Order: sequence, then structure tokens, then C-alpha cells
Amino acid sequence: MDQVAVTAFFQTLVQGLLTGGLYALIGTGLSLIFGVMKVINFAHGDFLAIGMFITLALFRTLNIDPYLSLLVAAPVGFALGYAIQRFVLTRLGDRLGEGSMLATLGLGLIISNTLLLGFGAQPQSINVPYAIKTFSFAGVQVSIPLLVAGLGTLVVIAGLNLLLYRTELGRAIRATAQNPLGAELQGVRTANIQAIVFGMGVAFAAIAGVLLMPLLYAFPTVGENYTTKAFIVTVLGGLGNLPGAVVGGLVLGVIESLGAFYVSNNYRDAYGLIAFLLVLLLRPEGLFGKTVKRV
Amino acid sequence: MRKVMLFTLSIALAGSAAAQGTIKIGAITSITGRFAEFGKMQLAGFKVGVAEVNRKGGIGGRKIELLIEDNASDVNKGLAAAERLVNAGVPLVINEYSSSLVKAQAQYLARQKVPNLVITSSGDDITKPGSDYIFRLNQPATEYARVILNIFRDKKFKTMAVIAGTGAFEKSVADAAQVIAKEYGISIVEDQRYDKGLTDFRPVLNRIKAKNPDGLLMVSYAEDSVALMRQAREVGVKPRLFAGGAAGFALPEFVKDSGSAAESVITATAWIPQLRYPGVQKLNVELVKALGGHEPSYHAAQAYAGVIVAAEAIRRAGNTDREKVKEALNSVNMQTAFGPIQFKDYDGFRNQNPLVMVAQQVQGGKFVPIYPKSVVPKAIKFER
Repeated sequence: MDQVAVTAFFQTLVQGLLTGGLYALIGTGLSLIFGVMKVINFAHGDFLAIGMFITLALFRTLNIDPYLSLLVAAPVGFALGYAIQRFVLTRLGDRLGEGSMLATLGLGLIISNTLLLGFGAQPQSINVPYAIKTFSFAGVQVSIPLLVAGLGTLVVIAGLNLLLYRTELGRAIRATAQNPLGAELQGVRTANIQAIVFGMGVAFAAIAGVLLMPLLYAFPTVGENYTTKAFIVTVLGGLGNLPGAVVGGLVLGVIESLGAFYVSNNYRDAYGLIAFLLVLLLRPEGLFGKTVKRV
Repeated sequence: MRKVMLFTLSIALAGSAAAQGTIKIGAITSITGRFAEFGKMQLAGFKVGVAEVNRKGGIGGRKIELLIEDNASDVNKGLAAAERLVNAGVPLVINEYSSSLVKAQAQYLARQKVPNLVITSSGDDITKPGSDYIFRLNQPATEYARVILNIFRDKKFKTMAVIAGTGAFEKSVADAAQVIAKEYGISIVEDQRYDKGLTDFRPVLNRIKAKNPDGLLMVSYAEDSVALMRQAREVGVKPRLFAGGAAGFALPEFVKDSGSAAESVITATAWIPQLRYPGVQKLNVELVKALGGHEPSYHAAQAYAGVIVAAEAIRRAGNTDREKVKEALNSVNMQTAFGPIQFKDYDGFRNQNPLVMVAQQVQGGKFVPIYPKSVVPKAIKFER
């Protein structure tokens, strides 16, 4: 390989890892919710869309910097998730998770159609001066907003780890995940914990949406694509396995980028799905899953 | 039997429309959906066109009115819209933007023997081989590629790369670019096609960066044009010229949303206010007014011209009979603010208006004309 090809490879790899970081963030939210409640959240991508549109709306109306919108999008996402778990999902008297599955599907439709009503169907992007800012490292161009997104993911996931393993709330969450009845008997208010977890999962999706906004354009059904990605990430890593979701995200990002670079751009979305199928066939518990019920 | 009934029904409907006084002309556009941006431009053009025709006394003293149907940027809804217009008995349908949609609508209208005036959609295969009932006043896709490659050839480019979507329009332009490049002796070092919905072009752009072509031709719709240019700057592709095959690249939103990433990108375009046709300036002023102060894109001018030509055809036909209107379209030969209109058969095209394209470049955050000579071109700025 000559110098140009080597640089191009590394550039693609770095971009794949950073994009994968975002996938990891989205997948972590989905995985967290599944790990604690065994609910598969089909509206996950739509919560990401909410994050994008909050950013868009704040930028358009008050000219607020996209990254500052995190201060709005994350709490709004949390509150929304909390309310949905508290007032919708727990009331379904769920058998086998069918109720929650259908409910989240329905919620996704409500969200995307509400966004359609409010913002119109045309794709919209925002133009911030740093959208195309890059820095060069050994000939490899790295996009600043993409790097911020990757670092943001790291911070959020590190924070989640601290929360889960260093705080009382984290213990309660882990207890609820392992054995809800047992936790309840020990005085953990599991209904509240579950709502908090759902809120956190939705907040992660909304944060990912905010981090994406300087890079991408928003449209009401943008979530569909990301719901699929979140599933792939979660399955790659093992359902409910948080470190697995992180690695799954990175793996997906890299597979997609390198596949598009070396093979063909046309099958970009297919590479992830192929990996997904292979993992389902060969290691149904996920690349890193020992058991399915870990948080 | 069914056909006969439908036919009588449509005559009855046409009769009742005539009795009401105004002449109703059908029009389909994307009021909602992903092409809504273009639909907005076309609605403005329709408005200005109808106002002008009616201000000048309409057709034989009768005012015209457009029956506008929304195709919601969707093939099936587009066909349903065409069907509603056929059933409404309109003498002619003005047909709009996306080639993927218009192709289906035009074929249906031709089968129903309804004259179809295509104003914006430029996939070659709409008038090649075409049909007796399909007329196109705008330039076909081949011309979008040709104007860009003419510039590449003039500037002695040796190599170029292509990124294009897989939709009918993008494919037409990219395929035409292949043929013309061969003719001009420019080698295409990379030709990447993508399905809609892809938003990460970085891997492809990395590939192109490694090949370092003289020119990069991109053919894509509104949203992707912004993503493409932002990511091209980000990965550091540096051709001598970035070129857009119109569509998204020719929209004012492209410059607004891409910001500095759009600087010095050239694009083919069908119409600009700097053209030297009679009435261009006046049309531009009226379009800006109809758009509430926003700059019009060429789609608006095409929609305007569509109304003017449709009215002229009905005037020549003397009534709203579809067959007569079709014959009249064949004999149209007029000058509009969009350009001269005359439908001809040439190079395998049928009922196609042969019209040259213009190229413009983003300089200082604004489009300026750079090609051909007749628009008083500014000097082209290069990336390197």
C-alpha cells in the first residue's frame, strides 16, 4: 500500500470509530432499558429524532448553539421517558412484553407524525461555523463535531458506569434488573427505578440526536434508521449487556465505514445487517454476552 | 365497454368545466413530502403564471385556473393525483419535479391520452423514446451533465469522479456524464452510486480523495447536497472543481445550509435571473414577491413557463379538447422568460424543447453565472 492508501484507510477507520461511538450511545440506551425491564423499545430512534428537533428549534428560534441544547434535550428526554414508563407502560398489565412492544411502536408513530405536523417533512439542517472544522493528525483529517460526538459518548457512558457501580441509585437499578421482586422486598421502589431507567434510556437517545445535529440533517422519520442501528448494536453486544453495547456500536461503525470504503458504498446498511445475522446464528447471546440478564 | 363509459364520462366532465367559465388546467406537484421544497417553488411559479395569463385577458376572454394535486412526493400518491385530474376532465396536465414520480404519472397520462406538459423533471427516458402525449419544456438530464463536462473540457481536466444517487434523475445525469466523458477524453476514476437515506459519505469521499481527480461531479437532492459538501470539506477532498448536477446544488438552501462549505462549488442550472431572455427581470421580481421575499430557484421559472405554454396551447387549440390541445402543443413556438419553447424530435428525444443549460458558481456566498458566454460569465474560481 502506498502512503495515500494508508492515510485513507486510517481516516476511514477513525471516522468509523467515531460514528460507532454514536451508535454505542444509542445502543446503550436501548440495552439499558431492556436489561432492567425486558422491554424492547421500538420508539428509540424516534426519541433521537426528538433530540434533533429540539436542537433545530432552539437554533432556529433563539439561535442557541447545538451543544447547549443538551441542557434542554437531555432533561426533556428524561422526563418524557419517565412519564411514558410511569403512565403508559406499567399500566399495560404486560404479558410476555407484547403490550409494551406494541405501545412503543405506537409511541414511535405518534412522535414521528407529531414532528411531521410541527416541522414539515423536508429535511432541515443547521449551519454552524464549526460544522466543517477539522484538525489533521498525521495526514488523517478528523471532523471536530464528529470528535465531539465521540467524546460526548465516552463521557455519558463513563457517567453511567459511575452511577451504576458507585451510587445507591445504581445499586437499586442493578437490583431491579436482577430480581425485581427481591428488590421490592428489600425496600427498593422498583416502579420508580424502572421509570428512572426508561428516562435515562430516552435521554441517551435524545443526547445522541443533539450530537448528530451539527453533522446531519433532521427529518421526522430519521429515527427509523437509528432504531435498526440500535438493535444491531444491542444484538452484537448481547442484549442488556452495557459494555457489549459499547463495543457493538464501535464494531458496527467500523464495519460500515470500511465496507463502504473497500467494497461498495451501496450496501452500507447491509454490512451491519449481515454482521447481525451472523452473530444471531453463531453466538445468539451476542459477541460479549455470557448471560442475557446482565446490566 | 368500460373504456367507452370512462370516455363519455370524461367528455361530460369536460363539458361541465367549460360551462363554468374558467378553464381548468391540471397540475401535479409535491406540496408535501421530501420534495416539498421544490413544490413550494413551483406553486409560486404557477401563481405568477396564472396571474399573468389572466391579467392579459385569459384565453379568449375566459380566465384560467389550476387544479393542483399533491403527489406527497410518493409514486402511488402521484398516480392517484394524476387519476383525479384525468377524471376531472382537464385538457392538459402540467407535471412536475422528481423523475421517478413523473415517469409513472406521464406513462399513465399517455395511456389515458391526456396531454402532459413536463416542466422540471429531466430524466432522459421521459422523452426518450417518449410518447405523442408527453411534451417537455425543460432540459433533459444529458444537458445537465454536458454543461459541467464542457467546463471540465475547457479547463483541460484529465480525470473526474462521480457520486450520484440511484433515483431516476441522478442516474440519468451520471450515466450521461459517463458517455460524454468518454467523448471528451476525460477519464472517470471513480463512479459511486448511493441509495437515498445514506447520510455518511465519508468512506466514498476518502476513496475519491485518494484518487485526487481534477473534477468531482455530484448529483443529489437537497438534503444530500449539503451533507456531501460538508463531508467533502471535512475529509479534505480537493479536486480543482466541485460540481453539482443541479437539483439540490442549485437551491438557495444549499448555499444557506452549507455555509462556507458551498464556496466555489459550481452547478448546472436550468435558469437564472441573469439570463438575457425578454421578461426575465420582471419574472424574477414577481417570483420573489410570490415567495414572500425568498430567492426563486429555476423550478419556479419552469412552473411559470409551464402555465404560459399550457395557456398558449389551449388558445391555439381553440377549445379544451385533449386531442386538439395535443396537436396545438406540437405547433407551439414562443419566447418565454424561461427561454424559447418549441417541441422537437432529435437525438432520440421526442417532443423535447432543445434549450441550453447555464452553469453558476458560489462566490462570496452567492451564485454567479460562469457559463455559457451569453450570460456574461464571471471568472471561475478553482480549489487548487
